[in-house]
Amino acid sequence: MAKQNTAKNYLSGKEIRAIAKANAKEMKRLEAYKNRKADESEFLTQMKKQENILEIEDLHTFFYTEQGIVKAVNGVSYDVPKNAVVGVVGESGCGKSVTSMSVMRLIQGPTGQIVDGSIRFVSNEYKRDEKGNPIPKAGAEGEYEMVEKVYDIAKMPINEIHRIRGKQIAMIFQEPMTSLNPVFTIGQQLDEVTLLHVPGATKEMAKAKSEEMLRLVGIIPENVYKAFPHELSGGMRQRVMIAMALAAEPRLIIADEPTTALDVTIQAQILDLLQDIKDKIDGSILLITHDLGVIAEMADYVVVMYAGKVIEKGTVYEIFQDPKHPYTIGLQKSKPTMSLDDSTELYNIPGNVPNPINMPAHCYFKERCAKCTAKCSGEYPGMVQVSPTHFVACHLYDEENNNG
Amino acid sequence: MDELELKEQNTQEVVDTETPLDKNVRLMSPNQMLARRFFRSKLSILGLFMVVGLFLFCFLGPVFYTQWGETELDKSGKTEYATAVTTYTVNGVEYTLHQTTETHLIDNFLAAPSAEHPLGTDDQGYDVLARLMYGGRVSLLVSFMTVILMTIFGVIMGGLAGYFGGWIDNVIMRVCDVLMCLPGVPILLILSSAMDGWVSLDLVEEEMRIYILMFFLTVISWTGTARLVRGQILSLREQEFMVAAEAMGYSTGRKIFKHLIPNVMPQLIVQMSLSLGSMILYEATLSYLNMGIKAPYTAWGSMINIITTNQDILQNYPTVWVPAGLCIVIAVLGFNFVGDGLRDALDPKGRR
Amino acid sequence: MADEKVINNVAAPVYDDEALAAEYQAKRQKQIEEDFKKPIDPDCVLEVRHLRKCFPIKKTVTGKVTKELVAVDDVSFKLKAGETLGIVGESGCGKTTAGRAILKLHQPTGGQIIFDGKDITNYKPKQMREIRKQMQIIFQDPYSSLPPRDTVGGILSEPVEVHKIVPKDQVKDYVLDLMDKCGLRDYYFERYPHEFSGGQRQRICIARALSVNPKLVICDEPVSALDVSIQAQIINLLKKLQREMNLAYVFISHDLSVVKFISDKILVMYLGAVMEFGTKEDIFTNPMHPYTKALFSAVPNPDPTTKMDRIKLEGDIPSPANPPKGCRFHTRCPYAKEVCKHITPDYKEYEPGHFAACHLLEKQD
Repeated sequence: MAKQNTAKNYLSGKEIRAIAKANAKEMKRLEAYKNRKADESEFLTQMKKQENILEIEDLHTFFYTEQGIVKAVNGVSYDVPKNAVVGVVGESGCGKSVTSMSVMRLIQGPTGQIVDGSIRFVSNEYKRDEKGNPIPKAGAEGEYEMVEKVYDIAKMPINEIHRIRGKQIAMIFQEPMTSLNPVFTIGQQLDEVTLLHVPGATKEMAKAKSEEMLRLVGIIPENVYKAFPHELSGGMRQRVMIAMALAAEPRLIIADEPTTALDVTIQAQILDLLQDIKDKIDGSILLITHDLGVIAEMADYVVVMYAGKVIEKGTVYEIFQDPKHPYTIGLQKSKPTMSLDDSTELYNIPGNVPNPINMPAHCYFKERCAKCTAKCSGEYPGMVQVSPTHFVACHLYDEENNNG
Repeated sequence: MDELELKEQNTQEVVDTETPLDKNVRLMSPNQMLARRFFRSKLSILGLFMVVGLFLFCFLGPVFYTQWGETELDKSGKTEYATAVTTYTVNGVEYTLHQTTETHLIDNFLAAPSAEHPLGTDDQGYDVLARLMYGGRVSLLVSFMTVILMTIFGVIMGGLAGYFGGWIDNVIMRVCDVLMCLPGVPILLILSSAMDGWVSLDLVEEEMRIYILMFFLTVISWTGTARLVRGQILSLREQEFMVAAEAMGYSTGRKIFKHLIPNVMPQLIVQMSLSLGSMILYEATLSYLNMGIKAPYTAWGSMINIITTNQDILQNYPTVWVPAGLCIVIAVLGFNFVGDGLRDALDPKGRR
Repeated sequence: MADEKVINNVAAPVYDDEALAAEYQAKRQKQIEEDFKKPIDPDCVLEVRHLRKCFPIKKTVTGKVTKELVAVDDVSFKLKAGETLGIVGESGCGKTTAGRAILKLHQPTGGQIIFDGKDITNYKPKQMREIRKQMQIIFQDPYSSLPPRDTVGGILSEPVEVHKIVPKDQVKDYVLDLMDKCGLRDYYFERYPHEFSGGQRQRICIARALSVNPKLVICDEPVSALDVSIQAQIINLLKKLQREMNLAYVFISHDLSVVKFISDKILVMYLGAVMEFGTKEDIFTNPMHPYTKALFSAVPNPDPTTKMDRIKLEGDIPSPANPPKGCRFHTRCPYAKEVCKHITPDYKEYEPGHFAACHLLEKQD
């Protein structure tokens, strides 16, 4: 009898073949779209709001696995304003990292594909003549004319992506241990960034720039410039990674769990550094983390994600002081705090994150929600605006919206 | 299209509201996943067909192809007439002598392919097709036995070295190093000559020669398996589930056989299927060097051996030796394809 | 009463004056030997006295150890049934090694481990096997700590069968009961670990550890790899099981807020040595050691309105293979003085039940 039970719980061979066939077709189509040659006009667009540097709208990023389609990012929309820190918070598998990877177009094909939606980004790049050479600025040595262009990254062919990757948008990864190439010195790796992104850069210029960047992240360049990555500690490597990200003077830095792999005291150092840098650079930071404390300390705006959807977004004060979505509330309550209290039990959200395959049509949080109503079995709730900057996707606030 | 299909699946599952979400999610079982990854590669399917085909051919073939047995000679030999005309003169008289020689060939050797002998006969008068089947049995069996023996030996040695470490590990690994320095074929050549002597002294039976040789092959080739098992065990031993087993207070035997060996199995199976190919080649090489199984029995390698003695057959009678060569090629390729496919299927990192 | 083979290798503080150092070491050695002879407290499930664990990092050709890494240096505590001891520290502080040395998964280099009234420090592997079922461990990584090729039912039944906890025909019922206790559904019995999320796997690990009715469970960062909402579930589960089964926990974690929630006593470690030890109230309301204070203030505060004044720690954690001389913390301590660079501070009881090792505290005396 037990045997039968298990058998029932697995896919049948026929289903597996059907999934594989459907996947292959979709993946082929999307791969072709990704690798196509396209004229610039195809992916140039306009921003909806001028104060934003990045607008993600209705983004869908799917993974075509053998067990079905994993909708890792399923209709995500949020904006990153200029010179602001946007924190994306959520549990593992909620799609927060996949969203940022989609922005960088680092989703591993052919299984992972951006299926739909747009990622609009204001790029500030060199004005180029017909031959593709940058036009020097009249009267200023080594400076060039700049031009602002708005790209739809989701529609860009993959071979055009070099225009923004690294130069316009830089990324800081979670694992400082593996993100640096072990066979080159720190100096070589830092210089490379400048040499690659600044036209006409010489080695001396690159070195000067690298040393400046190292100083910016609180490292004495003399000690580290000639060192190999394995000679540095985790915290130092993360500093180097930040220096590398800053070297090309990007307009947007994506920090994907920058402090998760570090010890608490080192994490505090890196957070202080990021705070510092935030004021010094002319750009925005998209901070992705699961740690509410980090978000509260760093972010101006917060986006809460759950199972591939944005469930709540607003300013950091709105999210932390007046959270609306039951998930956001639960998340904040379930984190044990440092203040001493004698409660015997922690608040917790029951259940598990639903498996990303075969998502139900109703609210994904329904099974775990304490405030679930009959309406929740209906269709997925839409975004409700509760204040000019505060949005929440929950049926509890539908009526409020209607009345008001 | 497929979207719709999936949606349908969803609605069906959501109806079952009593059960929590995770019960409705259907994944692949581990075996399904393995099969899926194995069959994704066209080559592994081809390899599987080749191997299965050869097995059916060798082990089921003789059941249907009953015209000729393994050691049955075609004695339907024809009679040849040769006429010679000799003229000689005796005392001025001229005599002409018409002489006819009648030769009875007992064995129908080197016959061309016909309905009776689909692949003709060899230089002794054995049916090539029947010999191919029976020879294949010997070749496959010998390789299987060697590989199994080699694996058992390798697992024991590698397991001991990996699990206990210290001086045991040192001794076993140094023995491995020494054995790996020994060149296989020359040693077997020497051994074979020695065996000629033993055979003449009736110490060993002629039929056993190939088995004994292959046994010695095992003795010098278990090192690869042992190293593989040792490496695997060393890395598995550090895994937390092994520490957990230690903390559970399981006995050493249980830890090795219940927890370590099953986790080495996948790599072992791959190694075994890849070694099968090389063992078939070894057997063929030995037979080709005339150290293999002797008439009236045969193996694929021995069937090719004919060409070393008879230039005529090499040039004019390809039906005698080409099929055996093809069988060897198919067997080796097949085992290698299957081995590669299994390796890709069992290696979780290779998942695309 | 106990085997005294392992009494050696006592940590010597580094004094500039060698005579002073020798005298100090002799005093310590005497103290430790005296401590070893103290009677065993029958109320305690676990008593650890001056635990020390070194790993050889350099050996000569003949196998003589020339350089050692002192992973755990002089850790002592007592633990009663139903109590939780939290061990906090950053990476490389020896908290995991300490946990494993208590279980004798690593043979301790020095010190005494008294479990359930018996000195198990020098137990042979065969004797240990009997003891093992009374002391269990839960690991950080729920992915690598479950054997990948066995079903949940198999994983949970195996220890029950091996240690003959219940008669053979009742094993399945026993396991299903256990699964229910740990919040696992009965139809998981036939499933494989890879089908579960981290939280469920951690529940399986907990169920496996509890299947043999242990008295002591070492929880080695059991919630560090889990999401916040799942973390809370697992912590609650651990607390519930502790109440039901009167378990003693040694809870190892780098997360102070988690340790605070679950522990009765807290041990703060840095580079293998104990910095501070006391009850939860002592440590949280009145932290004495600068490292403890810094550790507290480094935790990001999930409240955007209050910005804390951080005690900033400069620099990185030194390598445990080359710990600084004197007080191990002096390289990063904002209050370090000259004496800290040369002399290892004594580990003293400053308030009843509240121990610390810091020169700054001595000044106040």
